[in-house]
Formats: sequence, structure tokens, C-alpha cells
Amino acid sequence: MTTLPTPPASAAPAQAAGPVVSRAGPGSVALNLLLNVLRRREVQLVLAILGLFALCTALHPQFGVASNIAFILADSVTIMIVAVGQTIVVLGRGIDLSVSPVLGMAAVSAGFLAADNNLNIWLALLLVLAIGTGLGVGSGFLVSVVGIPPIIATLATLTIYGGWQFIICGGMSVINIPAVYTNFGAANLLPGVPWLVVIGAGVVSVAYLFLKKTVTGRSVYAVGNNADAAFRAGIPVRRILFTTYVISGFLAGLAGLIYLCQIGSATSTSGSDGNTNLMSIAATLIGGTTLLGGRGGPVGSALGAVFLSEALQAMISFRINEIWDPAGVGLLILIAVVADRKGVPVRQLFRQPFRQPAGATR
Amino acid sequence: MTNIPGVGTDTAPRRARAQTAGRQETTWVVAVAVLLVALLAYFCLAVPDFRELGASGVLALSEQFLFTGLIALGEAMVILTGEIDLSTGAMSSLTGIVMATLWQHGLNIWLATVVALLVAALGGAINGLLVTRFNIASLLVTLGTQFIFGSVATAVGGNTPPYNFPKSFVNLAGTGTVGPIPDQLITFAVVAAVVWLVVARTRYGRGLVLIGYNRAASRYSGVNVQRTLMGAFVSCGLLAGISGIFVSGFYNAARDDIGDSLLLPAITVVVLGGVDIFGGKGRMSGVILAAFLLGFLTQGLLIKGDSSLTATMVEGIVLVLCLIFKIALDRRAGVHLRELLQRRFGSAQRAPAVPDA
Repeated sequence: MTTLPTPPASAAPAQAAGPVVSRAGPGSVALNLLLNVLRRREVQLVLAILGLFALCTALHPQFGVASNIAFILADSVTIMIVAVGQTIVVLGRGIDLSVSPVLGMAAVSAGFLAADNNLNIWLALLLVLAIGTGLGVGSGFLVSVVGIPPIIATLATLTIYGGWQFIICGGMSVINIPAVYTNFGAANLLPGVPWLVVIGAGVVSVAYLFLKKTVTGRSVYAVGNNADAAFRAGIPVRRILFTTYVISGFLAGLAGLIYLCQIGSATSTSGSDGNTNLMSIAATLIGGTTLLGGRGGPVGSALGAVFLSEALQAMISFRINEIWDPAGVGLLILIAVVADRKGVPVRQLFRQPFRQPAGATR
Repeated sequence: MTNIPGVGTDTAPRRARAQTAGRQETTWVVAVAVLLVALLAYFCLAVPDFRELGASGVLALSEQFLFTGLIALGEAMVILTGEIDLSTGAMSSLTGIVMATLWQHGLNIWLATVVALLVAALGGAINGLLVTRFNIASLLVTLGTQFIFGSVATAVGGNTPPYNFPKSFVNLAGTGTVGPIPDQLITFAVVAAVVWLVVARTRYGRGLVLIGYNRAASRYSGVNVQRTLMGAFVSCGLLAGISGIFVSGFYNAARDDIGDSLLLPAITVVVLGGVDIFGGKGRMSGVILAAFLLGFLTQGLLIKGDSSLTATMVEGIVLVLCLIFKIALDRRAGVHLRELLQRRFGSAQRAPAVPDA
């Protein structure tokens, strides 16, 4: 009888690092509660945002003025909206690298029509949503119907859409868009509360309700956790995956219009030059959503976007050259991932999201 | 009895499947070679400008894509292990910039090249350390380091990165030729031969591929997973570094912005070369051939008069078509859900951290 070596309980170190709570004495209920609250990434992020804010204000009093706060919030809205879409994709154990050209395509298409034909802003909204949805359908098709691993499929759509954006522009840039757009980008709902921030908050709330309260939203978590189990439980896995990419495209399209209103111009490299991909993934990861899928949510990602915007603004006030911006974001990603010690074997990210069992027919 | 997937079950069908898989890999490499010949023939017949370049002109075209090929060699080593390195493009720029800046400050250019390559290897080692010791997904690690390397390159290079290197350097690393053969092509041939030998013919290379196929099994059969992974990441950094030297030599200037534009073509080359993006399957020979296939395709389109972004789009489309084809092949070869699940959970249940010697 040769018994093959069984892996010793590999869970042991994980447990040791995991719940401290269970080992604490019964008398420290309040402490446990506090620790549990502190363990939530959203809470940590709020503390980080406030801490950084306090630090910067202490060193540079002009950092804390209301207009700067409004600017930081408004500046984060584009990334916030893209990050919410990214989060939904990541929750289903995918990744969407094509958000930057989707944002760019929406921005230049709406921008050209607005600059040349004075397109109504509501029609522009419909247009960008249609573009975003259409491009999202493309990525979703490759991932869920063809079965290409998400990172490669969206890397491919990234180049295809990027080239398309370039062709649409044909060497021209969007300038001189009607004032109604830029006015909207700078408008306040209440004094000190920009409209853009309200829209961002609205998108996050809807996404939160969608993920928590609807069958489709819950299914996204189920698919991300275990696609096979989800399939056997009767969840239409492919349709859910498809939906996540469509939502991501839809939101990236919306973000394109907001980008246009905020910046007032658009070029063939809009979206890509602002590192939209990196920023949205960074906000998602910093917000506590894991690339393994099934864990996290849009609120964390929104806070992550605010934190990123604040950190970049802080770098400006500390007079750090903007060359280092990407390095700062990269470092934050690494910190967020190291803090989230449940390491993800990357091979799992490459798995086809789902494949029907042999013989199963539909 | 302990129940380890894939151990103690009947081996005959398993061996048959392995043979089928091996044949499939060979077929893929042959197909890439045939496509390469067909492509060159097509361009010679259909594009007059291409024909007029002549043999030496066509060979000289390779200077436009050999740096991508070098990155692809390193990337293939990492992808074979089932990991990925997104920082290679940025590493390529960083190496060129470091080399050029050291030279500008008075260091001998060859010494500067050696130092820059050491920096590249160090960058790869940082990636490797974060992946193996901190147990973080390589996708995330290299997503982060990609931007750190890129920022460092921009900061070191300043507003006007150095240019106008000594002629001997530009000749050897850039545009010099021996008869009709570009110097770059000779260097590439040597490097590619070494990488091919290491991956296909050494114990280390077998371990590399086995890690990608089944990490737990490779550990139980005595492969030092952490050290092998470190090796893959360091090689990848080093090869990206050599590519950065090539870029600087070719343009006769250091460039801090070329990074992003090299990553996707390199990954496309790896996939086109038949390496399974999930790791564990693929041949280095295929990657080397694919570097030329994709390179000549892009250059041919450019000579035909298409814009560079059209060429990039074609690269993306080639990548997708390639994957669709491969997935269809896998289905025909009978890779079933059960096996995928076995592989998935085989890798998910991380074997305990065996204290490596």
C-alpha cells in the first residue's frame, strides 16, 4: 500500500491570516464588531480618503477648499462610471480591456456630430449609449459565444476599436463643441455639487441595486464564484456573461459623453491617452473586487475612483511631476493587491469562462 | 487511498490524447511555416513595391519587427508557465533609455548596454519575486509594474531622450548588415536558438512547460516551481531589454513611448505561434516562425499602402481568428469540460508552500 502524499492542510496559513475574530474572547464583542467593520474595504477606503485629505489640507490649506473637493469628485466621475462597468465584468470573472476605445469612440462620434451638426445633447446621449452597447456586444460575443478568454478577447477588441476610432477621426480632432455640452460639464445642481457627481452617484446606486436585488445581478456573482455550479443550478451562464460586457460597454459609452462635456474636445486617442483601462481596473481592484470574480461591488469601486482622483490631485499639490502619475497608480494597484492577501492563481483568469458539459444540448 | 485527479486512472487513453496533442502542436508549427511562405509569395506576386525590394530588401524589413519577436520569445516563456507579463513593452523602453542616458553621461556604450540589460533582468526579477514570494497574480503585478517602469523611463529620459549613438553601436544593434543579412537578424537568430534550446531541450524547459500544464503535478515530480517561474520572468525581462537595445539602435534614438505599442503584437505572436494562452502547451519554434509571419504581414500591408492603424487592426483580427480556430481544434480533439475542470482545480488547489531548498 503506497499512499500518495496528500497535501497537508494548505488552508492552515490562510486561516491564521484570516478571521482574528473567532479567537478573541467573548468579552470583546464591541471590539470584534469594530474589527469586522474595519475589515470592509469600503470602510478602509473612506478612512484612506479622509486621512489623505486631512494630511494634504494640513500641509497645503488650499487643498481643503470646497471648490477643490468638488473638482476632485467631478474629476473622478468618468473613471467611476467606467469602473462600475468594469466591476460588473470582473465580478463575473472576466476583464474588459476595451473600455478605453469604447469611451473614445463615443466621445469622438458624439463630438463630431455636435460640432458639425449641432446635435441635441439628448440625442447625443442616445447615440453614445447605442455605440457603447454595440461595441460591448462585440466583446461579449467573443467571450461568451466564441469562448475566447476575456483578457485576450478584449485585448483584440481594444486594438480593433482603437483602429476604428482612428479611422472615424481621419486625422481630425473634435474642437468647438456647442456650449450646451461644456456648460453641462461645469454645471452645478446645488451650489458646490456638480451635476456630474450626481450622475456618478446615480449610476453607482443603480448598479448597486442591480447587483443586490435583481436575479440577473445575483447571477453575476454566482457565475463569478463558480460557473459550473451556476450552470447546474440553472443559471444561463453565457447570457449572464454576455450581459456583463454589454453593460460595461453601455457605461463606457456614457462615460464618453461625460468626458466630452468635461474636456470639451476629443481626439483619435481620447480614452487611451488617459489610461482609462488602467484607471478603471485600478479603481475596481482598490475597491476590493477581486479578479477571481464573485466578490466585491460597485460602491468600493466608486470609492476607489474617488481615492485615485484625490491621490493624483495630492501628487500635484506636493509638486510631484505628472510623469509619475502612472507609477503612482501602478503602486496603488500593487498595494491594493498585496493588502488583499487571497492571492489569485493567474491561470484561472485565463480559463474560458464556461464551457458546456460534453453532450449537454440546448 | 488518496484521490488525486489523474493519478492511478487508466493511462492508455491519456497517452493517446497526449500523442494527439503533440501531433496537433507539430501541425500548428507546420501550418505557420506554410502560411509564412504563402504570405511572402502572395506579397511578391501581388504587391509590385514589395517585389522590387529584392531579397536583401525583404530581409532588411525584418529590422522593423525583430524587436517584437524578441519580446515574444520572453513572453512565450512566461505564458508557457500559465502566467503573463504585461510589463515587457515598458521594460523595453526603460532599457533603451537607461542605456542611452548612461552613454550620455560618458559611459562606454557597450558597458552602458550591459548595465541596462542588468536593469532589465532586475525588473524581471522584481516581477518574479512579487509573483512567487508574495503569491500575487502575475497579471496584477505586471499591470502595476508596467506603469512604474514606463514612468521611470519617461522620468529618466527627460524631455529630449538621447539620440545619435556611435556608429559601431547603430550598426550592430540597429541597421548594419553582413552581406545581405541584417546584423539584428543574426543576433536574433542566436538569441532565438538559445531560447529554443533551453525550452525544448533542457530539463529546465520541460519544467517550464509542465508548470503550465499542471502546477501541482510538476511540484510533486520535483520541479522547483518558484525558481522556474523566477527564471521565466528574469528571461522575459532580459529579452525585453535586448529588444529595447534593438529599438534604440534601429531608430538611433532612445524612445520612452514605444512600450505600449509592442505588447499586443508580442502577445499576438505568441498565440499565433501556437502557445496555449492557458499555458502548458506550445512550441518555441512556432513562436519564432510566427514572429516572421506577423511581421511580414504588417510590413507587407504597410508597403501595400495601408495605414499603420489598419495594420494594427489586422493584428487584432488575426489574434481573434487564430483563437477561434484553436478553440475549434480543441473541441474536435475532445477536450471536455471534465478535463478543463480537472486542470482548473488542479491549479486552484495550490500545493502547500514546500520549503524550497
